[in-house]
Amino acid sequence: MNKDMKILVVDDFSTMRRIIKNLLRDLGMTNVQEADDGQTALPILKQGGIDFLVTDWNMPGMTGIDLLKEVRADPNLAHMPVLMVTAEAKKEQIIAAAQAGVNGYVVKPFTAAVLKEKIDKIFERLG
Amino acid sequence: MISVTGKGSEHFETELQSKAQELVSVLNEGDLSSAMDIIHELHEFRHKTFFSEVGYLTRGLHEAIKAFSNELGAGLQMGDETAAEEADAADRLNYVIEVTEKNAHETMDRVDKALALVDKLDSQSERFKDLLLLVGQLEKEHDSLNGVYDRTCAVKEESEKTIGVLRTELTDIVVSQSYQDITGQLIRRVINLVTNVETHLISLMEMAAKVEKLSGIEVQPGSQEVAKTNKKNPIQAEGPQVNKDSADVVSNQDEVDDLLSSLGF
Repeated sequence: MNKDMKILVVDDFSTMRRIIKNLLRDLGMTNVQEADDGQTALPILKQGGIDFLVTDWNMPGMTGIDLLKEVRADPNLAHMPVLMVTAEAKKEQIIAAAQAGVNGYVVKPFTAAVLKEKIDKIFERLG
Repeated sequence: MISVTGKGSEHFETELQSKAQELVSVLNEGDLSSAMDIIHELHEFRHKTFFSEVGYLTRGLHEAIKAFSNELGAGLQMGDETAAEEADAADRLNYVIEVTEKNAHETMDRVDKALALVDKLDSQSERFKDLLLLVGQLEKEHDSLNGVYDRTCAVKEESEKTIGVLRTELTDIVVSQSYQDITGQLIRRVINLVTNVETHLISLMEMAAKVEKLSGIEVQPGSQEVAKTNKKNPIQAEGPQVNKDSADVVSNQDEVDDLLSSLGF
């Protein structure tokens, strides 16, 4: 896993963005950008340069699931690894996220160990 | 508790009974014109009763809304300025989100400072290692120092372990601030609910006021429209699940992992 990769963390709660940023820093990843919903995240992604997307689901403006679909529909972004970190816990929702092409799914509240494990797993698979 | 029931309906029944008897007696006397007057009076009376009941209901609703927002205002002491203003339920709930957000950040500020101190301890530990090597060399030359190197090394290791545990504990404090997001999402849903209820109640009151103004009993068809609830999208964002026992909801990360692996993940 490249520690210098650029990560975009999308969540409408600044508390959660900060928690995820702190945990990523513990993993040695300090190149982190933030956005507070899908609408602000999408232009940042389309600009290019982001290597990994961590997104919430329930956000005003554009939700995380819609952001994921937009990412997968854009040929320039389609292969970007996406981790969903969300309080949405319905089986139907998890299945929908999987079908939309999510690479990992973490339910809130989560532990530092779970987040680390899921991130490691995503990059293990990608090689 | 506020009673919204008027006494109009009781009164209406007694009035109806006495008028009915009157009606029978004038009919028995063959006084058709008086009978028609009584029927007309009954008709009028029914309208009035109906409208006064609607009025009671409307006022009751109004009082309930006022009491609801006053209660919220009294429960949260936010200073005289705001308490004096008309309480707004949604504003108060937003305030809860703001306060918890601010506090979560303050906690994390302190944890960040504490983590910086832990980093300092780590670098001090490195310097300590250099000093220890020196002790190790001196030990060979002075018999009185025998064993000091090993014992100091043991203490150093112990302290490094403690620093490691401390770092984990501090990280857990940061992670536990996620309660702010979880509760905040639920409060936002309640805010939406309260706002919807308020909007509907206000339109209900307006509707009732119109009914009172009208002389006829007919309510305009337009105002009888009931907001149709859209068929719910099954994957629509709902925020944190409160009822984790529900079959269509996962209750922990393990269940998420099981479900995903069943999908070939």
